[in-house]
Amino acid sequence: MDARLSPSLFALFATLVEETCGLHYGERDRELFGTKLVAHAEERGYDALIDFYYRLRYDDPAGAERELLVEALLIHETYFFRELAPLRYLADPFLADVVRVKGRARVWSAACSSGEEPFTLAMLLADRGLLDSVEIVATDLSEETITRAREGRHSPRALRDGHPIDLARKYLEPAPRGVRVAPAIRAAVRFATQNLVGGAGGGDLGAFDVILCRNVLIYFRDEQISRVIDRLAAHLAPGGLLCVGVSESLLRFGTKLVCEERGSSFFYGRGGRP
Amino acid sequence: MTAPQGLSLTDAERRRVERTAVLAGAGAASVGELVGMLSDASWPVRRAVVGTLAALGDPAVAPLVAWLQNVRASEHAIAAAVDALSAATGDAATPAVIVLLGDPRPAVAADAASILGRRRATDAAAALGDAVAHGDDNVALAAIEALGAIGSTRAVDALIAVLAQHNFFRTFPALQVLARTGDPRVVEPVAALLADETYRFEAARALGRTGFAQAIRPLASLLPGASDAVVRLVALALSDLLARAGWTGATEHVTTTLRAALGAALTQLVGALRRADPAERAAIALLLGRIGDASVLPALASLLDDPDVREAATDAIQRIGRSHDDALIATLASGDAATRLAILPSVHTGRAAAAVRPLLADEDPEVRARACEALARIGDTSAVPALFDALADPSPRVAHAATGAIHSLGVADTAARTLGALRTGSPGVRRHALRIVAYLGFDGALADVRAAAADPDLRLAELAVAAIAVLADDGVEAALEAFAHDPRDGVRAAAMRAAGLRGGPAAQTMLALGVLDPAAWVRYYACQGLGRLGDAATLGLLTACLADPAPFVRVGALEALGHLDSPGAWDVLAAAAASADADERRAALTSMSLRPRAAALPFLLAAAAAADPATRLIALQGLAQRIEPSALATLAAAAADAAPEIRDAALSLLGERTDAPAAVALVELAIAAPAEHPAQRVLSLPGEARAHAIAARLASADEAAAERLVGALGRMRDEAATAALYDALALTRPEARRAAARVLGALGDDRARAALGHLASDDPDLEVRRIAAAASSR
Repeated sequence: MDARLSPSLFALFATLVEETCGLHYGERDRELFGTKLVAHAEERGYDALIDFYYRLRYDDPAGAERELLVEALLIHETYFFRELAPLRYLADPFLADVVRVKGRARVWSAACSSGEEPFTLAMLLADRGLLDSVEIVATDLSEETITRAREGRHSPRALRDGHPIDLARKYLEPAPRGVRVAPAIRAAVRFATQNLVGGAGGGDLGAFDVILCRNVLIYFRDEQISRVIDRLAAHLAPGGLLCVGVSESLLRFGTKLVCEERGSSFFYGRGGRP
Repeated sequence: MTAPQGLSLTDAERRRVERTAVLAGAGAASVGELVGMLSDASWPVRRAVVGTLAALGDPAVAPLVAWLQNVRASEHAIAAAVDALSAATGDAATPAVIVLLGDPRPAVAADAASILGRRRATDAAAALGDAVAHGDDNVALAAIEALGAIGSTRAVDALIAVLAQHNFFRTFPALQVLARTGDPRVVEPVAALLADETYRFEAARALGRTGFAQAIRPLASLLPGASDAVVRLVALALSDLLARAGWTGATEHVTTTLRAALGAALTQLVGALRRADPAERAAIALLLGRIGDASVLPALASLLDDPDVREAATDAIQRIGRSHDDALIATLASGDAATRLAILPSVHTGRAAAAVRPLLADEDPEVRARACEALARIGDTSAVPALFDALADPSPRVAHAATGAIHSLGVADTAARTLGALRTGSPGVRRHALRIVAYLGFDGALADVRAAAADPDLRLAELAVAAIAVLADDGVEAALEAFAHDPRDGVRAAAMRAAGLRGGPAAQTMLALGVLDPAAWVRYYACQGLGRLGDAATLGLLTACLADPAPFVRVGALEALGHLDSPGAWDVLAAAAASADADERRAALTSMSLRPRAAALPFLLAAAAAADPATRLIALQGLAQRIEPSALATLAAAAADAAPEIRDAALSLLGERTDAPAAVALVELAIAAPAEHPAQRVLSLPGEARAHAIAARLASADEAAAERLVGALGRMRDEAATAALYDALALTRPEARRAAARVLGALGDDRARAALGHLASDDPDLEVRRIAAAASSR
């Protein structure tokens, strides 16, 4: 099958994917999208993309084929200790204060990919003796990625230059072809699949003192970002903080959340006390 | 006239705004009252007055000029008068304001300069050139900025003279304007300012923006002993220079000059990465990719984790890899996964095979996949056994890449290995083996493939049926006939798909029965197959499928009807083009273009204005195949669309056409579009029709258009374009000769220098002679 995707087929598939999971693919993404789509369609037994499109559009009642396609398109590039400064602030003093006031705290790592982000926060909390007092829920759209995250096995690329060596030594163990997260850290994170866009968004996860949704919004259109932010905000406890990626700003979306600078990092909060 | 949208007005303001509407209707007689209203205290009212005066045009010009000279009631009223003259319609404003530029009062002259700039008044370039030497800084500054806005190169000498004055207020804006002129005379005087710390930063940036190779040595001369900050500044300027050289086709010349000038600066550039910001790191990576060698690969590899710089670093690594085989091979063995990923696409010689083969066992699946692709690219047939092993890779991406590599390499024992894998491999390996059979079609494979088609694994069975279609064996038809009656829906569907590809009377009979199958996908592929066979006698069968309960069967039938040369098929398609279902509409539009059908034009034109992008794109694809002027006009209009997916697709379709009308449309599009619009890139794709269209249009091009067109010829770099570029030196219009002289100067080869040498002494136009003299100097 020709990996070059015609503009019209790209438009059809990109619309389908956006309807499924909110991810927006623009003209710049066409080539990479085409490469992944063609490989996936061939793997699923299709030698013409239009046949595959009709299958997804008309003969996929439970959405299983669409989910597989989204899975094949997703980029799961993340690593331990990425954008560490906001996580350090959240662990201590923010969550430390919440635990002091409420006895327990809850954190949601939305779109956690293969788990490096919630594990990093868990390491920081463990380092401060707070891990037992904080419930960490980590969700991602991809079933396959969540399965990998639960295993806590990561490639060498999950640990990059400049990471805090003391934390890595304490909580990551060398393993064949990479590293493995220490059992106590793995046990502290509860993983689940969750589509931030379709269905119930945060579902019945409850309210959280901290919601992490970093380096995800850049893949959505503006309208979709506003909807996702509204959904996340609905799960934010009074006094809670939403943390987005350092290159993502919500100010232009007119959100009701207030941007606050804390510990040299920016967060979005609903105001009020924990 | 109405108030600017979105503003809330008081009742009093609303009455005054309504008054301007009344005055607009009264025409020239109302100018006096309107000019008086320029002093209104309300901004919305003044906006309405400005709009009315500008629309009145010529009758309002003299009163406005007189008001600016004599009344000047308040700052906000002056601003309003300037706005009105800047936007004034008609022919009178520019000549009147040029006269106003000579007013002895600096404030009036500065306003005039500002108006001329905002009007983009190219006719005023000479007068503004004089004004840059005005005794008053404000007038000079306004004139410089106006020349920048106009984009004219006719005042280059005047602006260069400004640099020599070292006037703090005038030098900076003059540098910015000069850098954008693309004129070779600029380099020397700007380079002279590098010696002055006050202007060094801006002068370096300006030199970078010229895009001229002549600017490289002055910039490189800053490097010996320079601080990191200066190295970063130079790197930014040089990367800008490289990018701009691309617009005149001078990249090769600039790269050669960079290598000669910066060879000793590699260590400095690498060292400057430490404190560089993302833009600076990208600039340094870009330069290292052009001039670097094996020694800089580790530094570039360290940038691969940085999302801001990854693309530039990858490109740089691949460029170095292409010309430094040994370094590339060594780094493949020693680098991390990110480095290997960056390097593998640039592996291009058999010498690297020994370093690539072990990567089939790399821990990173993407590395393994790219290793398969690299081995195929370099033709390493000794890797075929290992590639067969890779068919069992847990990553589908790797197994697919291995399959593709085996297709490419095709050695003597491929058939035996493939059939061996088909007989004994895991289900995944057997599926890939069937893909290889389907691609290469081995003699004597029928029995094995037929056996695979009986496998309980449905996906394996479907692939086997598909593979059977390509085999040259007398038993194929009988086998397909048997599979068409298989109890499994998927196998019957695969049989229909295979029959459609194979063709022949037996296939047609099988497909005709297939459209009646109880399974929807069997009916879909039967329709598709009948379409491929294109027999008009199947019209009834296919038309009946339009009532199928499965939507994709209806769509499949429509797509099939497009292949039939039959009035009945056309009627069905025409009706379906108005279907309430978007996929049916799109299928009808696609089908209409499968055969040459004059009647399809109005449908395609209408669909080109559809709301959803996919329908528009299908319509544009259809229109691109047609020669009617309305089809071309619609395609050209879409190429200027605001939606990038529509614009880029239309441009790409225009660029694929090789006919003269399409080339002419592209030329006009590029002239009208901004300099950074992708139309400029498409115009410069090599093609005889485009080169001829540009050459023809150059004969009547104004200064800005000539710059665009000649730049496209420079980038095209083929025989027709080069001929047109030299022919432009003999055109009557000096604008074309000036533009051609600039581009030839940037190309910097001996033939260009010789031609420019003649021009420098013989051309009747002084500007052309000056440009040619500057451009021909080494």
